[in-house]
Amino acid sequence: MHILLIEDDARMAQHIDKGLREAGHVVEHVADGREALFRAAGDAFDLIVLDRMLPNVDGMTILKTLRASGDSTPVVILSALGEVDERVKGLRAGGDDYLAKPFAMSELLARIDVLARRGPGISAEATRLSIGDLEIDLLGRQVRRGGQRIELTTREFRILEHLARNAGRVVTRSMLLEAVWEYHFDPQTNIIDQHVSRLRQKVDRDFGASLIHTVRGVGYILRGADG
Amino acid sequence: MAATHLLKRLSLRIALTYAVLFAGSIAAVLYVLYWMNVLRPLEMLHREVETEASTAVGTYLLEGPAATRILLERRSHVRAHRKAFHLLVDAHGRVLTSNLPSWPKRSAGGWARIEADIYREGEEDDYMALVYDQRLPDGARLIVGRDVESIDQFSTNLRQGALAIVGSTLVLGLLGGLVVSGTIGRRIDEMSRTARRVIAGDLTERVPVSGTGDDFDELATTLNLMLSRIEELFESVRRVSDSIAHELRTPLARLQADLDDLRQSGPGEAGHNALIDEAIAEASRLQSIFSALLRIARIESGRHGVTLRPIDLTAIVSDAIDLFLPEIEGKNLALTVDLPPRLLIEGDSDLLFQAVSNLLDNAAKFTPAGGTLCIAGERGDAGTVLAISDSGPGIPAEARDRVFERFFRLPATSKLEGAGLGLALVRAVASLHGGEIELADAGPGLTVRLTFRSSRS
Repeated sequence: MHILLIEDDARMAQHIDKGLREAGHVVEHVADGREALFRAAGDAFDLIVLDRMLPNVDGMTILKTLRASGDSTPVVILSALGEVDERVKGLRAGGDDYLAKPFAMSELLARIDVLARRGPGISAEATRLSIGDLEIDLLGRQVRRGGQRIELTTREFRILEHLARNAGRVVTRSMLLEAVWEYHFDPQTNIIDQHVSRLRQKVDRDFGASLIHTVRGVGYILRGADG
Repeated sequence: MAATHLLKRLSLRIALTYAVLFAGSIAAVLYVLYWMNVLRPLEMLHREVETEASTAVGTYLLEGPAATRILLERRSHVRAHRKAFHLLVDAHGRVLTSNLPSWPKRSAGGWARIEADIYREGEEDDYMALVYDQRLPDGARLIVGRDVESIDQFSTNLRQGALAIVGSTLVLGLLGGLVVSGTIGRRIDEMSRTARRVIAGDLTERVPVSGTGDDFDELATTLNLMLSRIEELFESVRRVSDSIAHELRTPLARLQADLDDLRQSGPGEAGHNALIDEAIAEASRLQSIFSALLRIARIESGRHGVTLRPIDLTAIVSDAIDLFLPEIEGKNLALTVDLPPRLLIEGDSDLLFQAVSNLLDNAAKFTPAGGTLCIAGERGDAGTVLAISDSGPGIPAEARDRVFERFFRLPATSKLEGAGLGLALVRAVASLHGGEIELADAGPGLTVRLTFRSSRS
């Protein structure tokens, strides 16, 4: 993917740049707000990673200007201001995701991955998802594996749905929390893990191959036996 | 105290201004008195004498000196309020008629005042004549006048009196001003001395209160309350920064130790990756302590920028229970939930979810397996109340205030995971919502009661 990285802190930029390249992305880096606006308007990027605080032109201004000009390139906002209201402001200005500094590289990569596939991937109108022998009926809220019906609570169903919609990609704990509980907060506990492990017991335990995998230190991935 | 300093004093300036204003109005009253009793009668007298003089001149010119003499003498015998004086001397210096004891040799040729004291039977009558002295065309000299002794007397008395009255008003005003300025100035000096000592860093300093209960005492009491509050806040900030420094030192030291060990061990060696993971975990622990601290500080200072809107507390609590369900079920806690279908309050759902989660996390963490957990909500007279009770070890009464302090942990819980910031955040969220948090004995266990005052709706 062709990514524009807008970040003024040299060490931070180097770190993100390296991480993105290692994940196979092509990265262009600018440190100045005005130049960033110029580059973003000039070239076609698949995604923009935008620091909130920049010299000359503020990150929010860049974002608003881009959106006002009809540019809909996905934007991930990075900010040391991790507060809920800041996050809401960022998303309202047209950001697609918001990540508070400091963050783990894996978290950023996972979010970029999900954003990149949002467009042409599984459409929101899809009524059925199937991964390997797992079938999810989104309308009837039913889950079958190998033809056998699995009973899930509402919450478990939503976790599974979110993992399935992003099948093959890593979903981090905070992404799950935001998508399934729809609250932005800091759990400070391993409570999400407990939910996933309960889901796993129902979806994976009695079937030979596991579908839900833990990515150590990052999150979870739902993957068919063949994938 | 230097004179310039004294003049700068507001109180003295006010006293002086009032003294001047007061003296000024007295002077105005005195002037009116002067005008009524001196200026106006004199003016009328001038006109009267003028008329009399022109009558006399007319008579002299038309009917001759003899007729004029008769006219003047008759006039002097008419009993009038003010005694009439006259003199008629012909061109050769012979006095034709006069009732003036003496007169100036040379004619003044106009208005003059002539002393006209009259001795009669050994007694002296004081007169002062206001006269019009003129030469007639044939060289005769005619003086016509009236007594103004009483007017002059009054005028002199009034002028002397006015000087004394206005003077003493000014002197008294000045003295009063000095006294008031001294008293007020002393109190103000005390206050600014205190303020300067506080500026210099001594927050224990207080403004002296005289005990008379006057305005200054009231001000001093208010200032002292303010100082106490500032001292209290300052003290709590100091305590917080002390504990931050202390609490962060441990994870930082561990992080440093991990990195040190990493340098010793080479890649591929046993435990190398585990050390890296440990260092990262330590760093993220530090990070989450920092974000929790920042969040608490932002909520407490009101800089969070949230807008409170109507939200359903029941939904938020249910979501939070749902989040902690695995833990509750894992520990086999008997869960009782008693929530009405809807509990509308004005609030911020993310912050309330965080607060309720912290409380549930604590309850689930501290309650031994097989215990009970009871969550109840209701709308009462005092507002909307959410109560979370557990059958855990509870919090001793003497520690119930302190558990809301950042980093405070009960000795019994220090082995468990956590930084001691959870309840501090809950309290900050509660007060942001205009709510209150109370801890009570659930016998055995702890009841946390959050009260949100009802909105007007």
